[in-house]
This record gives sequence, structure tokens and C-alpha cells, in this order.
Amino acid sequence: MEAVRPDSCERGTAAARAEERPAPEARAHFRVTRFIMEAGVKLGMQSIPIATACTIYHKFFCEINLDAYDLYLVAMSSLYLAGKVEEQHLRTRDIINVSHRYFNPGSEPLELDSRFWELRDSIVQCELLMLRVLRFQVSFQHPHKYLLHYLISLKNWLNRYSWQRTPISVTAWALLRDSYHGGLCLRFQAQHLAVAVLYLALQVYGVEVPAEGEAEKPWWQVFSDDLTKPIIDNIVSDLIQIYTMDTEIP
Amino acid sequence: MDRDLLRQSLGCHGPALLSLLRSEQQDNPHFRSLLGTTAEPARGAAPPPGAGRKEKRVDNIEIQKFISKKADLLFALSWKPDASVPSEVHDDNDNHYAVMPPLEQFMEIPSMDRRELFFRDIERGDIVIGRISSIREFGFFMVLICLGSGIMRDISHLEITALCPLRDVPSHSNHGDPLSYYQTGDIIRAGIKDIDRYHEKLAVSLYSSSLPPHLSGIKLGVITSEELPLYYRRSVELNSNSLESYENIMQSSLGFVNPGVVEFLLEKLGIDESHPPSLMRGLQSKNFSEDDFASALRKKQSASWALKCVKIGVDYFKVGRHVDAMNEYNKALEIDKQNVEALVARGALYATKGSLNKAIEDFELALENCPTHRNARKYLCQTLVERGGQLEEEEKFLNAESYYKKALALDETFKDAEDALQKLHKYMQKSLELREKQAEKEEKQKTKKIETSAEKLRKLLKEEKRLKKKRRKSSSSSSSVSSADESISSSSSSSSSSHKRHKKSKRNRSESSRSSKRHWSKTSSGYTDQSRKDDCYPVPTNTSASFLNQKQEVEKLLEKQDRLQCPNAQVKEKEKGLLTSSVEVPDDLGGRSDLYNSYKTQAGSSKTEKPYKSEKHFSSRRNSSDCFSRNSEDKMKASSYRRFEKDTEGRKDHSRRWEPSSGKYSTSPASSDYAWKSLEKQKKCMYSGSRDVSKHEQRHQLNTNEGERAHDKEDGCGEGNKAEAPEDILNNKEQPESRVKKNLPQNLLNIFNQIAEFEKEKGNKPKK
Repeated sequence: MEAVRPDSCERGTAAARAEERPAPEARAHFRVTRFIMEAGVKLGMQSIPIATACTIYHKFFCEINLDAYDLYLVAMSSLYLAGKVEEQHLRTRDIINVSHRYFNPGSEPLELDSRFWELRDSIVQCELLMLRVLRFQVSFQHPHKYLLHYLISLKNWLNRYSWQRTPISVTAWALLRDSYHGGLCLRFQAQHLAVAVLYLALQVYGVEVPAEGEAEKPWWQVFSDDLTKPIIDNIVSDLIQIYTMDTEIP
Repeated sequence: MDRDLLRQSLGCHGPALLSLLRSEQQDNPHFRSLLGTTAEPARGAAPPPGAGRKEKRVDNIEIQKFISKKADLLFALSWKPDASVPSEVHDDNDNHYAVMPPLEQFMEIPSMDRRELFFRDIERGDIVIGRISSIREFGFFMVLICLGSGIMRDISHLEITALCPLRDVPSHSNHGDPLSYYQTGDIIRAGIKDIDRYHEKLAVSLYSSSLPPHLSGIKLGVITSEELPLYYRRSVELNSNSLESYENIMQSSLGFVNPGVVEFLLEKLGIDESHPPSLMRGLQSKNFSEDDFASALRKKQSASWALKCVKIGVDYFKVGRHVDAMNEYNKALEIDKQNVEALVARGALYATKGSLNKAIEDFELALENCPTHRNARKYLCQTLVERGGQLEEEEKFLNAESYYKKALALDETFKDAEDALQKLHKYMQKSLELREKQAEKEEKQKTKKIETSAEKLRKLLKEEKRLKKKRRKSSSSSSSVSSADESISSSSSSSSSSHKRHKKSKRNRSESSRSSKRHWSKTSSGYTDQSRKDDCYPVPTNTSASFLNQKQEVEKLLEKQDRLQCPNAQVKEKEKGLLTSSVEVPDDLGGRSDLYNSYKTQAGSSKTEKPYKSEKHFSSRRNSSDCFSRNSEDKMKASSYRRFEKDTEGRKDHSRRWEPSSGKYSTSPASSDYAWKSLEKQKKCMYSGSRDVSKHEQRHQLNTNEGERAHDKEDGCGEGNKAEAPEDILNNKEQPESRVKKNLPQNLLNIFNQIAEFEKEKGNKPKK
């Protein structure tokens, strides 16, 4: 939780940072987190460990200059560390295999020679470095849990046919997973992110929460008291920003 | 493309989205056709939502751009979850996830709207829970307090009443009004049976037939307040303290901190984590190749690693470091259990080391994993044929045949297997024919010579018996040892073959009780017939055991030359005994147990002689063991193991044949004059105490005996076994003694030959 509370990551400049952040840097991170997610899927990781890996990665580069370390090595170590943190242990051998295949599509897996073991050692060394940089604070409160509970609550209030017809939960889940391409997870609260992706999912399909106009409290306010409409808009716009990179970067 | 969904979205966002979609998705053929047709109605539908929304739409221009860009993904049919569960029971306990009070309670939506939405969303088959407010003669009314399935709504303050008509109330007793069971204030769980949405009227039923099939297990009727759904209880708590926030209730719930909550809710919401959804084009998991996944890569890597080990192992193998090679192969198989190359290489190593069975196992496993592996198939065929050859040498012809056939089944063109199989078949056929011929020949000889040499024989037999008696005493220890072995092997021999034999012997017996030459020859031919059969179809299971035992025996016996040779003579005597003692039998019945002991303990006195003989009849097993062991001994010396085994087999049969008919012997009269006489003589001999016969004499006698026996045997199966001749020689080299013994005067040999035949016939006689 403390990691998500963006005090450690200059909250005040959070919004500004999104615009200020030089595009090349954001793109580089986008590319590497894309790698983390793809490798995560190929390693059979669940959403939470992947989210943790991305968060570790982003947090590390909050503290460290972009040029200081090899981004992909940090990404591989993030995967390894996230597997440990979220109790879904991964083997370095698998991480190296999947990564090697990612960088050299269609190539044969590496032979288990000295070079392989050097690679493995570098991942482990990098992991130790990251732990120190992050001050061993590597457990995070992710929005996933919140989002799922919100979805259940909303499902009961919506007409069941409308719910069945509309893939709100899948879309919200996808949006949340994709949000880790950027540093949103560090700049916003988990609850706010969860509400924002839900909001966007409802908007996309034009689904209205019944009797919203008559309600004393908007539905998103119910889920998080300190949430405001501008925050949602901010998150949504940041999220959409990330998707624009998707088209720019093959 | 999901048209309804797209229409819904367009209805919300209006024409702005439509134009964006048109520009963004113009390359997508689905959208082009779809937008062309839906454009008009969508535009027509846009104005009614009201002017207030238009401002909102301006704000959402970003979102609309996003929708239009991702429309192909968002409105794809595959994007939808497969089929969400229609409605579940709300009995989920708090351990799985945080069960929350209904959302509308937090949103503080006016009762009017809630009521309206309730009647819009309630469905037939939903479970409702309410309190009975009044009971009438046509049924009872209840005020709903919460819902039991489908949707979780806060309805406790909406004063919604439902009627449960009399016909929907099951009676609890045989007599009286079913309604008398219920009281005002009871909490009732019921299924919705009818909804009048316009008049806002509900009819419920207490029969579970009103529920959909997946809920039919739920009991309807009176429930306690503890059975009320958790969400309702939470809702009541919230009403008492309305300041509690959604987040606080959620955070304090045990289910929220459940480590498995994400997985549980993902399943509940129908989200697939194995193919996680993403709106990123590069992360469409359906585009990922299975080959790039960690498990596939690991497998591939392990396979190549294992292959490397195999290569190292093969190099070791080439320079003769077999242990190192085996280690490498095993390492390879540890890395990759199913590695075909490692299996084939290890199999080849096993084969060269002579562990053919292990080799076959490896090859078969390799072929199982990779049925097209050429080397595995080739090696397996070769090994099977080799193993078949081994089995053939061990006289397990049927097993050998099956191995050859297996090899042929694997590779029809495999010449070696075909040749071997044909050879085996030919051999089996040939040996059958030869034996028949041999049998005929013997018969002729017998019929000719028996009469003329009767006198001579009588004399010889007398002497022989005398000698044997003595020897028997000395040799009984060795025979007792072998008797144990025999009992094992004979008992485990196949029942079917013995069955046949019994039949045959019975038939022979029924032909005539009186002995005649013709009958003798018949039986003897029958005997050879059977023994031949047994030779050709050995019982595979016990041969190896007896084989081993014999080996030990031989070693033991070789040490004591004297004793070793004694049994030879005894065999003959026993055969005679079978015939001659038929009369004595009744008298000796009592002495049997005695005699067994004494026999075992190697009692040398002549007293035991008589009982011993009788025992041969009655406990044919023990008897057979005697002849078995003795025969085996001399055969061992004279010829190869193979023949030796044949012989023992034949002997066993011989002895077994006695079993069913043994009862008859005791009652049947003496079979012939001759038998009578010989018996008398024998008896005399027995008591005459010929123990003083010099050792030298004994030896001589034995040698001749031996030689004759060998000769006999040579006649019997030498021709049939021509193919095996080299091996015979080999075996004979090991046992040079036997050869020496053979070198006896030819005339003496002939005589003994005749004796042997005569005796054989005599031995067979009682069977009739």
C-alpha cells in the first residue's frame, strides 16, 4: 500500500510528469513492460505477479536513471522477483529461455553452457541490486482485487441481461492489465485505478448505471470516498495515452 | 462483430463516434458493411437521449477516439466471455470474497426507483425471501425482505408483497389445511412463479419445481433468521450504521484478504486467466505461438541437452568405456525421460553387454515415443532375434517363436527373423518326424531281439540288480537331494500336457490287461511319441529352475565319482522295479513312511530295499525324482545341457504317467511269467547280500551301463539333433570322461543296448 501511495514518487508532479516525461523514455518503458507482460504470459504467470513485476520495474526506474542499467535485464529480474513476492515461483532457466526466444524469434533455446550460467548470475545479481534500491519494499496493493469486488457489486445492480450482453468485466480487466505499460500504478491509488478502468469500460459500451441521475452519490464515489471526477478523467486520459503508444510502437 | 453491442455504444455516444469509427475502421470489412447498415437507425436513435448528454460527449472525445481505434477488439464476438453462469445462490460465505451490501444502499437511490428497477429485473425462477404478513383461505401473503438468487438487491423497505396461493403450498400432514402449518411472521423462502410487471404483483410457490434446474436442490418453505443471505445481514448492519463506507466494510471482510480471492472472482465473472485479455495489439495472446511458451522451450532445451549427453556417451562407448557411457545415457534420461536417442543408445549398450531383455525394454520404449525411429526399430528387431536364438538354445521354442514373430511384426522385411523362424519351424517339424521314425525302428529291433536275447538278459539283469542294490544304498543321499528339486519342477509343469498323457496312458491300459509283444511296442511307441512332444514343447517356467538345480547337482556329484555312477544302474533297476514289484505292493504298503525316512537318511541295510521298491510305485513323484536325477547325471556327462533337459522332461512325463494308474497296479495280477521270475530272482539277489562285490567290478558295470546309455541316446535323438552337433561337442569337451566310458567293446554295448530296450518295455508294461 505504501508503495502505491505515491508519496515516494513525487505525487504533486504526478499529473505533470505524464506530460513532462520525455516521450522516448516512456516509449522505452512501454516497450520493456510489453516484454514483461508477454514473457509473463508465456511463463504462465497470473495477472497479479505480472502486475507486481511491472510495478517493481517502474518503481526501480523512478529511482534510477534510464541509462544506468540494461532495461531488459531489470525486466527479467523483475519477473523473477515478482514470482517470489507473489508466491508463483519461476525458474531462471525458464525466464532466460522465454526472453531469449523473445529477442531472437524462432531461435533454438540456449545451450546450458557457461554463457547461460553467466546470464543467470546476472539476473540474480540484478535482483539483489533492485531489492536494495527498492529498500526491500516490493509488495504492492494492486487494483485487481478492488476491481473484482466492484464488478460484483455493479453486476447485482445492473439488469442481468444487459450485463450478460456486455463484456464489461473482461474489458475492465484488460484495461487494468494494460495500464501497467505506464507508471499509473505508482501515481494513483489502487481503488482509483480500479474505478477508472471500470468507468472506462462502462463508457466504451455505453452502459449506464441504473438510476444514476436519481442517486445521492454517484456509483464511483461509493467505491472510493476520496475519488473525484477529475482524478477519473486523469487516469482515463493517461490510460488512453498508453494505448496511443501501442499503435506507434509495433 | 457484435451488432447489438455496437448499437448500444453508438446509442450512447452518438454520431460523433460513428464518424470516428468510419474513419478509423474503414479498412475493416466487417465494420464497413455494418456501419453502412446501422448508420441511419443509429443517427435516428441519437437525439432522444436528451440534450444534457451532448456536453458530456464533448468531454468524452478522447474516449470515443479510443473506442473507434479499438473497436475491432472491443466489439469482437470472441471478446465476450463464453457463457456466464445465469444466476447463483447467494450462499457464498464470507471466506471466498467480501460479500457487500447492495450498491444502491450506498448510492441512496430513492425507493421509487428501486421498486421500479426491481420489477424490471426480477425474473421467474428467482428465489425470494419474505415474512408472512397475513394468511387467508386462498393462501398467504408475504412481504419480501431480500432475494435468494439472481440479483442482490436491497428490497427490505420497498414493501413488496407476494401471494403464495393455496395450491402452491405443500401439505405437511395428511389431514387438515396446509396453511395451518404457517404463522404470521414466519420467514419463508419461495420461488417466483408469476410476475405482473405492470401491476407490480408477484406470485410465489413453495414447490421446488418453480425453480430452475440448477437451483432445484434448495429447500423452500420456512427458514430461520440464520439462513438469511449474508448480503442481507450486511445490509441490515449498514442500515444501523449508515456512516460505514463501502471501502471500510470491504477491507474489514475476511474474504477480501483471502489470497485466492482474485482467482475465485475471476472465475465467478468468467474471465480467463490462461488467455488473459488485452486491448494491446501486440499482446493478443491468441497470436502467441505455443512454441514460445516456457514449458515448450524447456522441453526443447532439455531434449537437446540430453542429446548432448548421449553424444558424449556414444563417444565413451566407442572407446570402450561402457560404464561412463551408461552414466551419460542415464543422465540424459534423467534430463529428458522420453529421450529417444538416449533410450536407443542405452538399449544398444545393454544389448552389447548381453542384457537383451533390458535392451528390448529400452528399444520398445523408444519406439513407443517415436514410432518412426529407424534405428530403434532395427535394433529392436535384431535384439529380438538374438533373444529368440537364446531362448531356442534354452529349448524354449514357443518363446523363441514369439520373439521372432514380434520381430517380423515390427519389420516384415527383416530377413534374419524370417530365416530364424523358418529354421525353428523346420527344426520342430523335423524333430517330430525323426522321433517317429526312431520309434518305429526301435520297435522293430525290440520285437526281433527280445526273444532271442531273453536268456542272456535274464542273467545280466540278475547281476545288475545285485550290484544296483548296493549302489542304491550309497547313492540315496544324492538322489534325495534331487528329489526335492524334482518335486518343484514336476509340480509346476503344464497341466495340459499331463492331461493328454493321462488320457493316452489310460487308453493304452484299457486295450488289454495282459501283456503282449505287440502291446509293448505300441506303448513304447506311444511313449516315445509323448516324450518327443514334450521335447518340442517344453514348459518354459520350470526349465530354468531345474536347469540351475541340475548344475549344482552335477558339481556335487562330480566330486564323488562312485556315487555318481551308481544311479545309472539304479535307473534301470527302478524301471524293472516298476514292473516286478507289482505283486509285492500290498505287503509293503505299511512300510512306506518308514522307508521314506530310511531312504532319505541313506540307510544302507538290505531291509529297506523292499519298501523302497514299493515306494517307487506309490509315490511316483519321489520315484521320478530318482530317475530324474540319475538320468540327468549321466546325460550331463554324455551330452549337452540341452539334451539333458529334454531327457529330464521325458523322464518326468514317464513318472507322471504312473500316477493315475498306480491304484491299479496293486490289484492287478502279475503281468507276465517273466516278471514273476525276475522278481523272484531279484528278491534273492536282494537278500543275498552282494555288498561284497568289489568296487572295481562296480565301476566296470557302471561304465558299460553308461556307455550303453549314451549310445542309446545317440540313437534316439542324435539324428534329430544334428543341427546342434557342434554344441554337443563343445559340451563333451568339458566332460571328457563320458567319451572315455563310451569306448567299450561293441558286442558288450549291443548286449546292453538290448537290455535297456527290454527293460524299457518291461517298464511300460504295467501301464497297460
